[in-house]
Amino acid sequence: MSKDFLRISPAFEDVMPAEYRELVASGPYGKGYGISDLGSHKELLEEHPLCAGCGLALSLRLTLSVLPAPEDTVIVGSTGCSALAFPQVALHNIHSLFGNQNAVASGLKRALKLRFPDKHKDVVVVAGDGATADIGLDMVMQSWFRGELITTIMLDNEAYANTGGQESGMSPKGAVLYMAPKGKKFQKVNMPELAREAGCVYVAAVSPANPKRLGKAIKRAILVAREVGPTYVQIFAPCPTNFKFKPQETIKRIKEREKDGTYLMREYISPEAQEYLAAMEGGTKDE
Amino acid sequence: MYGAVKVDEEKCNGCKLCVFSCPDPNVLTLLKTKKITVNQDRCKACGLCASVCPKEALTVN
Ligand SMILES: Cc1ncc(C[n+]2csc(CCOP(=O)(O)OP(=O)(O)O)c2C)c(N)n1
Ligand code: SF4
Ligand code: SF4
Ligand code: SF4
Ligand SMILES: [Mg+2]
Repeated sequence: MSKDFLRISPAFEDVMPAEYRELVASGPYGKGYGISDLGSHKELLEEHPLCAGCGLALSLRLTLSVLPAPEDTVIVGSTGCSALAFPQVALHNIHSLFGNQNAVASGLKRALKLRFPDKHKDVVVVAGDGATADIGLDMVMQSWFRGELITTIMLDNEAYANTGGQESGMSPKGAVLYMAPKGKKFQKVNMPELAREAGCVYVAAVSPANPKRLGKAIKRAILVAREVGPTYVQIFAPCPTNFKFKPQETIKRIKEREKDGTYLMREYISPEAQEYLAAMEGGTKDE
Repeated sequence: MYGAVKVDEEKCNGCKLCVFSCPDPNVLTLLKTKKITVNQDRCKACGLCASVCPKEALTVN
């Protein structure tokens, strides 16, 4: 898709909403922007209804700001808090049935490959921890086993936030939530390790407390999924509403968890992905 | 809105760390003068920007 696609016919300019006109005038399409360009252009995400201080909203905003080719990207989402933001995102996106996101993304990627054989169309799954590691785990793992050329991004707020705070496989052991009053009995699922074993050629665990590292991981994951294999990025995105901390403490909480070793940030790159990235990163912006 | 963040332009050094920590889009913008400005109508007063500002240039009302 070229940027011309977005341009408003002169006869309709005065009736288009201001936000759309701003996107055409100073949006990120075709620009190759990174994190450091935020604050100087119109973002893909518009005013959204997620809570004040939401780590998931911040992670989504940073993610959308580093897409290598927003005009050729389709986001596949699932039910959860992030789904409430997508009506405000100026990108192609599909809302799939809860848990089905990686199956939908697999089919979509194959169809796009047939329809546009000479173009890269990036298919990126963005879903919660419940959708990814619990209810959709079957579809997620099978897409990795099959080597589908898609990127899977988990927004890990360590709970079913959207339905009022049930524990998920990604909640830490002992977590007490509104609807898990007795405390979680088993360990947090080690998804990055599972992803690597299941065939992901690029895996990262990052957080918005380090925006540049987050941006680099997302960019790498999307580029590698174009040709080498499936990729997985897990973003630690704490939820002040369900974990009952003050909204201004979201970033502090991430740093504390990193420090006490209960949330490990990491990156795994397979040798093939490494080779591919070395060739790509020579010519692109690095964050 | 019930509250919004305010910038002390004297203290702001234009590092943009606040911009990268705000969960809400198009709220904090860097002016040509290299100072931050806030779209107060859209700020949710969460205070995350203030929590990362190295110059203590931001306060939540
Ligand atoms: C098939 C199906 N099962 C259950 C639900 C109910 N449901 C809606 S959101 C949600 C939890 C989402 O948790 P997560 O994926 O972690 O996203 P979060 O809201 O935490 O961001 C559930 C169980 C649903 N919408 N559809
Ligand atoms: S409930 Fe939690 S994850 Fe959902 S929007 Fe609110 S802060 Fe964000
Ligand atoms: S973090 Fe503080 S000093 Fe840096 S740009 Fe923002 S307000 Fe200015
Ligand atoms: S208080 Fe929260 S919403 Fe307002 S500018 Fe700061 S980070 Fe953004
Ligand atoms: Mg969740």
